[in-house]
Amino acid sequence: MALLSKRERRHFPEWDDPTECVFRRVAIDLDACDGCRLCTLVCPANVLEIYKVDGKKKARVKDSQRGCISCNNCRAICDTGAIAATESNDFVGYYRQLGRGPFEPPRKF
Amino acid sequence: MASDAALQRGEDLEEIEADTGRAGRILEVSEGAEWNAVERVMLERRSIRRYKRRQVAPHLVRRMLEMGRYAPSQGNCQPWKFVVVRDADLIAGMEKFCVAECRKLSFDLDYTRYVRGSVKRFVIRAKARLFNRLQPRMLHPVPVTVMSTIADGRFAVFHRAPTVILLLMDKRGVGTPEIDIGICGTNIVLAAQSLGLGTCWVGFSKLLNQSREWCARLGVEPPFEITEAITVGYPIGEPTRLIARDTHEIVWFEGGTKDIRY
Repeated sequence: MALLSKRERRHFPEWDDPTECVFRRVAIDLDACDGCRLCTLVCPANVLEIYKVDGKKKARVKDSQRGCISCNNCRAICDTGAIAATESNDFVGYYRQLGRGPFEPPRKF
Repeated sequence: MASDAALQRGEDLEEIEADTGRAGRILEVSEGAEWNAVERVMLERRSIRRYKRRQVAPHLVRRMLEMGRYAPSQGNCQPWKFVVVRDADLIAGMEKFCVAECRKLSFDLDYTRYVRGSVKRFVIRAKARLFNRLQPRMLHPVPVTVMSTIADGRFAVFHRAPTVILLLMDKRGVGTPEIDIGICGTNIVLAAQSLGLGTCWVGFSKLLNQSREWCARLGVEPPFEITEAITVGYPIGEPTRLIARDTHEIVWFEGGTKDIRY
């Protein structure tokens, strides 16, 4: 069986349909986040922002914007380990991710 | 070659090697060993898009390019040429040009800009679809998103880096010179990481090829063309914590069996 069906090969995702272009969102641990803003600076997709909860600054994903490519640069820069993408992005049709296993940190073999 | 001749005569290369008394030693690495310095550099490298203002010393750029010079290439054809841009005005000009090009492309192809059900959206979408058939990788949802973000001025092409290295490819290179440029750039990027510098690959730099004026200013002439750019500078913050990533299917043939691992 082919990895991509004929129909899939022909199908290109609608870029603004969230069911067809699944840009992942990052998970943020609000207890650990100290609102330092570094993640909002390094995010290549520019999807993070700082807001205030109970008078404390915290990071969150902007409501209006999609585009997180799960690069995890936010994780790499976060001192408190409060933020991380836990899944890879995915699309339908021609652009569907193939042959991927789970998200894992670097492993020693 | 001497070794080929020996093989043809059915001689054992390892025996000959032992006879010389100068056999190469085998480096034993135990299972689960700590990452070495090079591996650590590879794991800690991130694409850096926010830089400090401080300029990178010229000798460091030379050090990086020296590592690029020693990259492997098909038939040892070394199909590269480097253009180093360290003048803020020039980088700003390149930025301006690429943003303008992205604007044109974005308004021409990104149908999501237009209201659902509108004629404009229908026409642009049909155009995007057609272009997609011809160049499917160019219109992958990720670069399209980035292109529109650049067009709207929310994302910089050259990331306001103090130094930009343009990787030029000699189109006459052996086989697939694009791959050689990738390998060469990887050497440069990893060398930079080991020197405490941040880098980012900029594929949108290819847009500069479309401008005669910019090619003339940057000294880009056929058979050379801009294939990639690498921005260099000192990163904001310390993005060195190790991250999780996709694992990829590995098909493993051994002992007469086929195995899938991740």
